[in-house]
Amino acid sequence: MHTLIVIDRLPYGDWHGREALDMAFSLAAFDRPVTLLFRGAGVNWLRPGQSADQLSQKSVERNLSAATIFGVSALLADKAALRQYRLSSDQLSQSASETDLTPAFYKQFDAVVVL
Amino acid sequence: MTRSPALSYTLVISGAPYTSQAPQSALAFAKALISGGHKLDRVFLYGDGVYLASSLVTPPSDEVNWTQLWSEFLMQTRTPAVACIASALRRGILDSAEQTRYEQPASNIAEPFEMAGLGDWVEATMTSSRILYFLPTD
Amino acid sequence: MPTLHIINKAPDHPRFPACLRALAEDDTLVLIENAVMALVFESLPLPPCYALRADVNARALSESSVTGVKMIGYAGLVVLTETHQRVMNW
Repeated sequence: MHTLIVIDRLPYGDWHGREALDMAFSLAAFDRPVTLLFRGAGVNWLRPGQSADQLSQKSVERNLSAATIFGVSALLADKAALRQYRLSSDQLSQSASETDLTPAFYKQFDAVVVL
Repeated sequence: MTRSPALSYTLVISGAPYTSQAPQSALAFAKALISGGHKLDRVFLYGDGVYLASSLVTPPSDEVNWTQLWSEFLMQTRTPAVACIASALRRGILDSAEQTRYEQPASNIAEPFEMAGLGDWVEATMTSSRILYFLPTD
Repeated sequence: MPTLHIINKAPDHPRFPACLRALAEDDTLVLIENAVMALVFESLPLPPCYALRADVNARALSESSVTGVKMIGYAGLVVLTETHQRVMNW
C-alpha cells in the first residue's frame, strides 16, 4: 500500500505542510511506502536559499532534507506550478521530479492524503 | 437492493470546531455509517482538529457544543477516539500524563478522547477498509 | 480503480481546479460544505456529480437545480463510500 502525501500550501504561513510532512515521516518510520508531492503553491517548499531565523521558525528546507534519509520514496513537484512560481527543477533545494498531475498519475497510489 | 458487506471506517478530523464544518460533517457521517450497518474503528484528531478534544470548549448557550456532542456519541457507540499527541501538545490540549511530564498547571482533554501518536493513524491506513478526512474549509 | 472524490473547498479555492483535473472518466465527485457553491459559480466546468443536501439547503441553493447534479444525504454519501474502494478528500 503506497501513500501519496500532498503539500499544496505555502511554507511558513501555516502548519499544514509541517503536519503533512510528519505524516509522511511516520509512514516511512513504519516502513510503509510513501511519496511526497508538492502541488500548486506547495512547490515553494522547494525554493532554495530559505532563511526563517527571523520568523523564529525552523527552515522547512532543513526538515525536507531528511525526507529520503527517513525513507520517503520520492519527492515530486507539480510541473505547471514550478513554471507558475518561476522555479526550475534543476535549482530546487531538494531534488524532486517534475510531474504532470493527470488522473492516471494519482491512480498509481493506493491512498492520497492532503491536509 | 443487495447491501454490500459491512466495512470498517477510520475518520480523521483535521478541521477545528467553530473554525470549520469538519467536526459536524464528520459526526453526521459517523452516525450515517453506523446506521448503514458499518463499523467505526476509530476517530483520529489531527492538526487543528485536536481542538475538538478540549473539555474547556464553552460556546454561547444558543450554539451547539460540538465537543460534548462528539463525546456523547463516542461513549454511546464505544468508539475509540484519539488526539494526535504532537498536534495536541502544540495547541495546548493535554491529558494528565502530559501535564505531569511537562509540569503544566492543568490538563484539559475531554472524555473519552485519548492521546496517541501518528502510529495509530498508520495502523488505521492498514486495517480500516476506508479512511475519510474531514478537512479545514480554507 | 474508480475513485470517490469528496471536496469541501469553495469553487474559488485553488484545490477546486486541482480536484477537477484529477478526475478520471470512471471517478465520482461529491460536493460537501463550501464546495456546493460550485452549483452557482459562473463558468465552472462542473462534471456530473453529487451534492450534499444539508449543505445545499443551508446555503439557499436548493432551487438552483443544475443538470447533472444529484442531491444526496449523509446515508447516500455512505453508500458511495461502499461502492468506491478508493476515496480522496480535497
